[in-house]
Amino acid sequence: MNCEQLREHYELYALGVAEEPERSEIREHLERGCGVCMAELKRAREMAAILGGTAALADPSPKLRRRILASAGVERRRLGWWAPFWAVAAVCAVFAAAFFHSREKDFEAQLSRTREQVRGQTIELTRLTEAFAILSGPDTTEASFGGSQPQPPKGKVFVNPSQGVLLMASNLPPARSGKVYEMWIIPKGGKPVPAGLFQSASEGTALYVHRGSVDVSATGAVAVTLENEGGAPQPTSEPIIVAAIPSRGPSAQ
Amino acid sequence: MTLLPMMLALDAEGDRGLVERLQRRDPQALAELYDRYGRLVYSLILRVVRDTGVAEDLVQETFLRVWNRAQGLDADKGSVGPWLLAVARNRAIDYLRSTTGRARNTLETEATEHPALYSDMEKDLLRSDKTRRVKAAMEKLSANQRQVIELAYFEGLSQTEMADRMGQPLGTVKTWVRAALKNLRDQLGEAVPA
Repeated sequence: MNCEQLREHYELYALGVAEEPERSEIREHLERGCGVCMAELKRAREMAAILGGTAALADPSPKLRRRILASAGVERRRLGWWAPFWAVAAVCAVFAAAFFHSREKDFEAQLSRTREQVRGQTIELTRLTEAFAILSGPDTTEASFGGSQPQPPKGKVFVNPSQGVLLMASNLPPARSGKVYEMWIIPKGGKPVPAGLFQSASEGTALYVHRGSVDVSATGAVAVTLENEGGAPQPTSEPIIVAAIPSRGPSAQ
Repeated sequence: MTLLPMMLALDAEGDRGLVERLQRRDPQALAELYDRYGRLVYSLILRVVRDTGVAEDLVQETFLRVWNRAQGLDADKGSVGPWLLAVARNRAIDYLRSTTGRARNTLETEATEHPALYSDMEKDLLRSDKTRRVKAAMEKLSANQRQVIELAYFEGLSQTEMADRMGQPLGTVKTWVRAALKNLRDQLGEAVPA
């Protein structure tokens, strides 16, 4: 193929989603130093960067900055008796990185794939661990929602004063394009406080953990609304889920 | 899709100095990098994974990856912002793939986020006229054209995968992709052969 025939595929190549035979053709042009393809691909990468900036702006929690700096060793953190473990883990990571860096390219790709899978599973495991910590907390308060409704969603909310809020729901269809579910913690007699965005799985289930301390006795309810992606500072639609938080023990709405 | 203006304090000279300091492992440089791009990176990842907790984990991973690989970026010519966004996108799409069981058969992580690829880019790209024009063009695309671009960028789908997802013939999807990219490309301007 000549460069003109590849013209419509540079952006897809830059995004890593080009298909055969164009992907191999572009790669071949690049390997032989084709000036047209290199220039087109540079422009395509610029396009990709610009598209990255089109997501609706949202604010991470203020704690994230400190967390990142601490994990990079930039801010000192209290490791306690875990310190030796982390030191060994860090040394292992360095040696592993040095070792694998010298391997063949295809081996690196395989390792990269495996690492990504492990990372994805680690994130899931972390979330499940957080959920379990809330579920098993002796001071966790439980509330049901949707039990009396003919139409779902149904599920439970668990609120722990030190761990956060866990929401488990079924029959909650994935939010349509451009929309996202937003959780709210509603103080008694107060305005709803944003408690994070989440999406349900394709089968209509959701498990969402909002980390952080919660004043359970001052909380009247936990609710969920459908909002535009990026979320909203206050609810803009009727709640899909409302779970009234009892003063003590479980209750159902 | 809502397109909001990027209120980023990006500065060409500042970015150049920032890369040098990242390469010297200056702790303050990582903090500065986060202050400049943290919100943008978080917004991109959240758009892909749609879970704030997971998004924060992936933002952390993105910044650590860039922190540990900054040596590969050209201090004079490298564009740290576009590179950071590429790393963020790959982390988010890889997560999406790992949770949906979708095979990672098309997105080529190493081929799209190697720091050497982000040299000689316009320094101030993310707040340039080019960016404003492309964003305006995105808003003018038809719903189908915009959807295919979003599926490619935010979900890492190939044209075949888009056709499956949308329940449309592959030829129709290719027509939408071609028209959408032409509109966006026209706003970005022609490439100049090296």
